[in-house]
Amino acid sequence: RYVRQLQRLQLLFSPTAADARGARQFVEEAALDFAQRHPDVVLYVSPCAGRAPRLLAEYLNGTVREELIASKTSEEIVQLATKLAGQSGLDIIRIRKPFHTDNPSIQGQWHPLTNKPSALTVRGPRLQPQ
Amino acid sequence: VAKTSLTSPPWPEAKLPDPVEEAKYHAEVVQKVNKMIATGQYGRLFAVVHFASKQWKITSEDLIMMDNVLEAECGDRIRMEKVLLVGADDFTLIGRPLLGKNLVRVEATVIEKTESWPKINMRFRKKHNYQRKKIITNPQTVLRINTIEIFPCLS
Repeated sequence: RYVRQLQRLQLLFSPTAADARGARQFVEEAALDFAQRHPDVVLYVSPCAGRAPRLLAEYLNGTVREELIASKTSEEIVQLATKLAGQSGLDIIRIRKPFHTDNPSIQGQWHPLTNKPSALTVRGPRLQPQ
Repeated sequence: VAKTSLTSPPWPEAKLPDPVEEAKYHAEVVQKVNKMIATGQYGRLFAVVHFASKQWKITSEDLIMMDNVLEAECGDRIRMEKVLLVGADDFTLIGRPLLGKNLVRVEATVIEKTESWPKINMRFRKKHNYQRKKIITNPQTVLRINTIEIFPCLS
């Protein structure tokens, strides 16, 4: 059971600006393929003039990531979009441990008294091994 | 010959058990463990797996992060070979160095493929007007271990 963490991708671009050429090519050619390859991501395409072209990604935990796609070729935009589709909405900060367990010890956590004879059998000063 | 302080080693001499008896004991223990596995008397299993040039101690439902790119897409189920050790509450199976593939089965799914946080790589030499700054983001993959299963085919 795998649930993709990307909710929707909003593509804002203007039909006239020169730096939105890659975005326009992406919308013409590769947007349908991308949508078919990722059927659980909703892709909104909204042309609006007078704004820098950007790609808005919303995730299931509410984080929104904005990426500028001005002066990028359509292949780069495809790669960016697949990368965003594979991410989850957690913040990209330094993570301290590359693993996370809920049950770290199964056979009992080690403490300095494991594998030692109990105090009832040992009495008096410590016996030296012969 | 006279006995000096160096004739015998300082540690107590260990007597090895009879090989026939030992073989019988081993067979008994193996049968017991097999029966336990077949009836399913173990609780939670943990395994030590060699993956991405590192050894991880994993249980079911836990997360692992690699600093590289796997060729599997998000949501693919992966079976991990190269299992070194499998343990439960009462017994452990130790491989030399690997355990057989018909004994253990470790399954994982690829959850996420992101990049790391932006690391700064700066080179600076004083009095020479030399400095270079580069921002590095490594691709990372996050796996979730689904199940660890063992099958009763010891010998």
